[in-house]
Amino acid sequence: MQNLTAMTVLAVEEGGEAAGGLSLVLPAPAELVAGIISFGIVFFFMWRWALPTINRTLEQRQRAVAGQLEEAERAKTEAESLLADYRGQLAEAKADANRIVEEARKQAEQVRADLLARAEAEADQIRVKAREEAANEKSRALSAARTQVGEISVDLAGRIVGERLDATAHKALIDRYLADLEKL
Amino acid sequence: MEGNIEALTGALSLVGYGLGAIGPGIGVGIVAGNAITAMARQPEMQGTIRTTMFLGIALTEALALIGFVLFFIASAG
Amino acid sequence: MILAAESCDVVNEVICAPANVTELFEFPTIFTVGGLEFSRSSVLMLFAAFVVLALFYFGLRQQRLVPTKFGVAIEGAIGFVRDGIGRDVIGPEGARYTPYLLAMFSFLLVGNLFEVTPLINFPVTSRMAIPAFLSLTTYLIFMFLGFARNNFRYLIDTVWPKAVPVGLRWLVGLIELFSIFLLRPLTLAVRLFANMVAGHLMLSLLLGSGVVFLAAVPEIGLKGSIGLFWFALGLFMFLLELVVSVLQAYIFTLLTAVYIESSIHFEH
Repeated sequence: MQNLTAMTVLAVEEGGEAAGGLSLVLPAPAELVAGIISFGIVFFFMWRWALPTINRTLEQRQRAVAGQLEEAERAKTEAESLLADYRGQLAEAKADANRIVEEARKQAEQVRADLLARAEAEADQIRVKAREEAANEKSRALSAARTQVGEISVDLAGRIVGERLDATAHKALIDRYLADLEKL
Repeated sequence: MEGNIEALTGALSLVGYGLGAIGPGIGVGIVAGNAITAMARQPEMQGTIRTTMFLGIALTEALALIGFVLFFIASAG
Repeated sequence: MILAAESCDVVNEVICAPANVTELFEFPTIFTVGGLEFSRSSVLMLFAAFVVLALFYFGLRQQRLVPTKFGVAIEGAIGFVRDGIGRDVIGPEGARYTPYLLAMFSFLLVGNLFEVTPLINFPVTSRMAIPAFLSLTTYLIFMFLGFARNNFRYLIDTVWPKAVPVGLRWLVGLIELFSIFLLRPLTLAVRLFANMVAGHLMLSLLLGSGVVFLAAVPEIGLKGSIGLFWFALGLFMFLLELVVSVLQAYIFTLLTAVYIESSIHFEH
């Protein structure tokens, strides 16, 4: 350990003693020439080739990306218009369907109303006819009964009175009797 | 070593450089520390602060670098 | 020293060869052109430039709509420098300086990372040539901009700042003058250089002594196992240097941008 420290210190000291210390901080002519040539080459390369090349590449890339973006934008617009078209068509179709259903519903309603009305009318007709018939029957039965009652009464009265009563002559009498009867 | 006066001059320039490096060392530390504080406070100014920090370090470091050159010159003499 | 001398007799020469610091950074001459002695570090600088070129070329080669993973990384690095440093610091005018900033960042990053690259293990930015040259270029750019945009107000207002109370003006002016015209380029270069030198030194010493001690175990017995500790510490420093390499490249580029910005928007 001690030896090594000694070696290090001595190495540094000897560097100083050899008058080479100053030569380390002063550029050597040959190296200056080599350095200038090397840097000159690198500088010209960067100036004339590397930077123009990368600028060209970047421009190209920018243009390509811009083109792609434009393309994408166009496709998007197209797709959007297509979508709008489809949406419109869909809405139209839906409206059509609604209209058709509505119409059908209305028609059915109409049919139902018609049927109802017709049935009602028929029922009314049947009722009226039945009533008429009943009335006719009643009046016929009444007139038949009246005739019979009259005949029987005249017959009976003739038999009681002993003389044959003229039905026509005593019509008034019979009618009065019948009216009285009806009043009962 | 061994009472050699030339060895002593070499060692003296080493000590001189060591002393010369103290001040710039502290200075660079202060510059860098304050730059970090500034960056933490205003991260959006990071670029400007870094550039200014390096400029400040370059100015502060100058003394240590002069000491470095002087070490070689002194040990050459 | 005693130990080093002893172990050098038994352990291979590569580890023991550095007798002083300089030898860790200066290599023997490989070839000579016009009196200039080019060594391994010069070759590595050219190699760094080559690596940067290769990375960017393969990253940006195919201009495809969807980049590869590697391409994304390179594009991210470019975006980081262009937007994160150029645009955010300098502003809309930053686009003009992007090639310079990008070349600087990528070259320094690769150069710094050579420090932790196996088989290379040498940061070319630890040679003063590159930091000095880049710092000088930055200095010339922001000096030129300062005088071109503000005429001599740049110099006068620096020395005599009107925003400061009269009593303090001369002092602040002196400090500003010193700081802008002298310290800026100097510290810019030395910061990178010093960090890389220190990192390389640290790694060489820790990993080197780890190997030395472990190799000396047959000679000095169990005491040599201390090498394990040095080696582990060296591995930790290795990770730390990875961070330092990236950070230093970033700071160098960022400060360049800040200096350019301060010349464009000069207000005093």
